Amino acid sequence: MHGGRRGRRPVDPPERAGAATVLGVRARDLAQPFPIVDLDTDALQAAATMGRHDLPGLVVRGADGLPLTVIPASQVLRFVIPAYVQEDPHLARVYDERAADEVMHKLAAATVADVLPKKHPDTDELPVVDGDATGIEVAALMARTRSPIVVVVEDKQIIGAIRIGALLGQMLPSDPPTA
Amino acid sequence: MTATLVVIAFVAAYVLIATERIHRVAAALWGAAAMVVLGVADVQTAFFSERTGIDWNVIFLLLGMMILVGVIRQTGAFEFVAIWAAKRAGGRPFAIMVSLIVFTAVASALLDNVTTVLLVAPVTLLVCDRIGAPPIPFLISEALASNIGGTATLIGDPPNIIIGSRAGLTFNDFLVNLAPLIVVLLVVFIGLARLVFQKELTYDPNRVEELMRLDEREAIHDRTLLWRSGIVLALVIVGFLTHSITHLEPSLVALLGAGAAVAVSRLDPHDYLRDVEWSTLVFFAGLFVMVGGMVQAGVIGDLGKELTTLIDGRWLLGSSVLLWVSGLLSGIIDNIPYVATMAPLVSDLTGGSHDPHSGPLWWALALGADLGGNATAVGASANVVVLGIAARNGHKISFWRFTRYGAIVAFVTIAISWAYIWLRYFAFA
Repeated sequence: MHGGRRGRRPVDPPERAGAATVLGVRARDLAQPFPIVDLDTDALQAAATMGRHDLPGLVVRGADGLPLTVIPASQVLRFVIPAYVQEDPHLARVYDERAADEVMHKLAAATVADVLPKKHPDTDELPVVDGDATGIEVAALMARTRSPIVVVVEDKQIIGAIRIGALLGQMLPSDPPTA
Repeated sequence: MTATLVVIAFVAAYVLIATERIHRVAAALWGAAAMVVLGVADVQTAFFSERTGIDWNVIFLLLGMMILVGVIRQTGAFEFVAIWAAKRAGGRPFAIMVSLIVFTAVASALLDNVTTVLLVAPVTLLVCDRIGAPPIPFLISEALASNIGGTATLIGDPPNIIIGSRAGLTFNDFLVNLAPLIVVLLVVFIGLARLVFQKELTYDPNRVEELMRLDEREAIHDRTLLWRSGIVLALVIVGFLTHSITHLEPSLVALLGAGAAVAVSRLDPHDYLRDVEWSTLVFFAGLFVMVGGMVQAGVIGDLGKELTTLIDGRWLLGSSVLLWVSGLLSGIIDNIPYVATMAPLVSDLTGGSHDPHSGPLWWALALGADLGGNATAVGASANVVVLGIAARNGHKISFWRFTRYGAIVAFVTIAISWAYIWLRYFAFA
């Protein structure tokens, strides 16, 4: 377990930035303040933040203050839904409503560290870019790492994150041509 | 000289399969290629010879059953029956264990063991979660039950399919000769499970209601598919049982069943082909060519003559040695290559003798190879699969923990099988 206070509350996200073309735009221009959690943040709080703000994931910070990884919302589901139910869809149907509610209680006794995949984060490419990265670099990194969020770092400080929705908003024309 | 080189290549490939230094499919194909290079396998001997080639009956029986299972498992019927059985047991751990053991054994007799445990283990984890019971005793007992139940029929365990094809034994032969013994072994196994798992069968009586709240009917979301595939499975079993009338080989029955299941299910090919273990089929093909090379080089024939001389009509001794050695070796190495190697040897032994007492050698081989797989955690594919499912769900079962129980069950069931062979085929023959 690294850094941070236990039970630290994630920071709420601000409003979205305005749209602009992705060509020539740098990551620092696309970055928005984003909720950051530590390894010992309560998993239930982290999940609630994702749900409340409709976030595709959260940035997890390491003890050194730098991004350790990004935890996608689907990983939270992977943690609470038993593996045997994930592997056998027929079993998901036999759960009654009360049992379905109970699975979420698993988060109450867990921290973000518990929810992370068991693989060592060092072995994975981190979805982190420098502020100078171009929009296409960010898009390529998202595609490669399958991460819905890319963290932007400058001078060893997290200056924000880019959400996939925001990036697509920049990349797509504001008035898509009709067929 | 060629025979020596063939033996060296065969042993080398076998060591690679047993030690898993490389994937078993690669090892079997390497061995098959060596036979071609050494000149003891060619297109004729590998693909078209019943004696030395790929046993297409085995390959297509496996393929047909895999496709059929691929369709049936889409119905959720297994989950339905397993949850229903657990609920009928009233939430009492040992009663649940017995119902799941019986269900696993019966299902394993009709399907392959790996598929059965793949379907039963998740239900077991759910049931144990609901009543607050530790799932490990249940999972271990199901792996052991699948190997015992699979021994009962021609299609229950891959070694039986090889033996049936090589020996010309029918579905009914297995049913008449092995199924009665397996019923006895299951009863004994349930008693053993009571003894060895008694202390571990704890649960929370206050949570039984959570098990009872599970609605097993929800597992089935396509009743039409259930009925259609259920009828196809029933017809396939009738096809196996009526071989003496229809003269349809089991492989053809399975393929017809697979075709019918695909036709009536209208599923996407991806859905039913997902359950076909192509690597297993290729492994079998490579093995048959490897063993065929040994037959072609005369090694198996010479070994058969030596053993015939050694046995010298003492078939009880021969059956006993074969049963125990097969049991011992199957606990250590994969029983599929073992039986693929032994089948032509036993065929030589029984074929060269007109003594009816030589017949039990086949049953000794089947019982030893199938039941011996219970001895260790790596003795049978079902054991490995159960250990994998348990680990993914946070319940690690160590090699020794499994083996501690498995070795007892393997020893007791093989000992009873030996008594059965002696009584049925020799003492009261």
